[in-house]
Amino acid sequence: MNEWMTTNDAPLLEAVNLSKRYEDGVLAVDGLSFTVQPGQIFAMLGGNGAGKTTTINLFLNFLEPSSGDARIKGIVTHREPLQAKKHVAYVSENVMLYSNFTAVQNLDFFARLGGCDKYGKTDYREVLLRVGLPESVHHKRLKGFSKGMRQKCGIAIAMLKNAPAILLDEPTAGLDPQAGHDFIKLLATLRDEGKAILMSTHDIFRAKEVADVIGIMDRGRLIMQRDAADLAGQDLEHLYLQHMAGHNSAPENS
Amino acid sequence: MLKTIIEKEIRDIIGSTKFAVTFGICAVLILLSFYVGANNYLVSRARYEAAKAENLRQFAGLTDWLSVRQHRIFLPPQPLGVLVTGISNDIGRTMQITGRGELTAEDSRFNEDPLFAIFRFLDLDFLFGIVLSLLAMVFGYDVISGEKERGTLRLALANAVPRHTYILGRFCGNFIALAVPLIAAMLLGCLLLPVFGIALTGGEWLRLGLILVAGLLYFGVFLTLAIFVSALTHRSSSSFLVVLVVWILAVMIIPRVAVLLAGRAVDVPPLDEIDAQKAAFNGQLWREHREQVAGFKPTADDDPEKLMGEFHRFMGDLADERDKKMQEFAGRLNEDRHNRCRVQQRIAFTLARVSPAAQLTMAVSALAGTALELKDHYQQQALAYQEQYARFMKEKTGINTGGQMMILRIRQGEDEEPKPIDPGELPVFEFRPLGLGHSLGAAIVDLGLLALGNVVFFAGAFITFGRYDVR
Repeated sequence: MNEWMTTNDAPLLEAVNLSKRYEDGVLAVDGLSFTVQPGQIFAMLGGNGAGKTTTINLFLNFLEPSSGDARIKGIVTHREPLQAKKHVAYVSENVMLYSNFTAVQNLDFFARLGGCDKYGKTDYREVLLRVGLPESVHHKRLKGFSKGMRQKCGIAIAMLKNAPAILLDEPTAGLDPQAGHDFIKLLATLRDEGKAILMSTHDIFRAKEVADVIGIMDRGRLIMQRDAADLAGQDLEHLYLQHMAGHNSAPENS
Repeated sequence: MLKTIIEKEIRDIIGSTKFAVTFGICAVLILLSFYVGANNYLVSRARYEAAKAENLRQFAGLTDWLSVRQHRIFLPPQPLGVLVTGISNDIGRTMQITGRGELTAEDSRFNEDPLFAIFRFLDLDFLFGIVLSLLAMVFGYDVISGEKERGTLRLALANAVPRHTYILGRFCGNFIALAVPLIAAMLLGCLLLPVFGIALTGGEWLRLGLILVAGLLYFGVFLTLAIFVSALTHRSSSSFLVVLVVWILAVMIIPRVAVLLAGRAVDVPPLDEIDAQKAAFNGQLWREHREQVAGFKPTADDDPEKLMGEFHRFMGDLADERDKKMQEFAGRLNEDRHNRCRVQQRIAFTLARVSPAAQLTMAVSALAGTALELKDHYQQQALAYQEQYARFMKEKTGINTGGQMMILRIRQGEDEEPKPIDPGELPVFEFRPLGLGHSLGAAIVDLGLLALGNVVFFAGAFITFGRYDVR
């Protein structure tokens, strides 16, 4: 069993009345509160400018919150960013990595950066195979990798960090259907291993397919949050558009 | 953590095509610089030895030391002077020694090979000043902004990596990856010197080592500057543009503008004007003495030898008097010009020192002994030699042979053939380069400024990156 599952039942990712107002006055995140428990995938849906990426940036302390806290394993990220980051892995929308390096070299660097220097060739081989990268490309430079292959490398890096929480920023954007499907399957596996996953996405169908909790964001606010089980049989796209059109202006919480 | 970042940086750089191309060019240029420098030194050395031999050969067969005229001394080529040419090719290398009066150096290297005056030499100052700074810029301009564009910065800083560790690692990695191969190329170049038969003294090796240190400090300045600019911008194209403008200003514009401004700030009379004043005063002295020469009345007019002796003493006394007056007059003019020059140089150097390129040039030329003071140093040694020469000639002839003189030879009967003089007896001019301590003292300010530049620009990058928006 993973060590973070044994400690307590506290949420691994938690936003507490989290707000961010930029210097130009734009309120990007407005009083956001939610939790992501171990073994749970939280999908943040929303249009461009809804505040999804800003929320991820607040968790990574790439931004200082105007008020409220983003917490990872109970650690307030803007107070103890380095401590907090030890417990989180991150996969960005466009995983670029170092194109001069092979997949294994990229993994090795980011694993060491994440504080894991005990891995060997076998570990890298296993994790790359697990994310669906055939052995023939493990020692090839990333220059020739497709977006999907890079994305797989990104998730492999996140897996190697072995952090209890994972932040995913538009992870399926630009992936072909097969790559998107493979990716979602991988997420489900990670969830089953007890990871707490916060994913921002435009992809309603993938969100419904894999998420345990779905939140819809608009203008920095979480205007709807439901368990995926509650949405079974409902047309999520219709619900999403309804909320976005302002038919349901008050935020809901399940 | 730091080690991981440094290792990754080195691996990333060394594995890139950009590195292969730029390092290949740099290595070839460095080796070429040593090769050309060594060849130039050997050619210059051969010319120097030939000129010295020719100088003595012209006196062969003379039977009277009074006939020794046109004695010349030569500035010997220095092994480090061909690696860092400084002003060694611009100043005159030959001086005619008369025994009295001012000395003028003639026949500069560029006078002999004017082509080199146009394109200059491929020396270490040029290589460091232009090529190394460009290399640092090319690799440093996208250290932060480029990583941001590639998205790797977010990924790296999503880990528990302190920003100061990250930027320090990037700097160290870049520095090591680029400096170590350059040092290797330099060491290989150094090996060429003994292969060519050029033996450097321990002091010269030390100087060469310090020149390399100056080059590395200079490289560090531009690397930290490029990283600083990279941390100020969010797009690598912007940082490249800024870095390019800064490079042009620092390397091309500021040193030249500094000299122009200093020239405008302090008016130094041209040498021609000074020479014209000296010539006019000299003419006046001659006119005054001509009447005295015309009124010369020997006391012993029956003995030709005594007469000639008396005449030489009379003329010698007049020459000494003229010389004394001329020295006083010329001394005043020279001192005034010299003082103005010093003020002008001080202003030019102070202004130019804003530019790391000027700091490098001044440091390496001081260490190689080819800085501006080489000219004065050669002049002082030549003047000291002239005094030694005058004493020698007085010992041989009984008079000071400097300046114009009239020699009357009176042959009495068929005496035995006079013995030829031995030109090998002439005192030998041995140029002593400035001591290491002196050179280091002259270079220390610029070495310090280069080190300070590293600290300041890295601190700038460090502080800026601490607040850098990685989104």
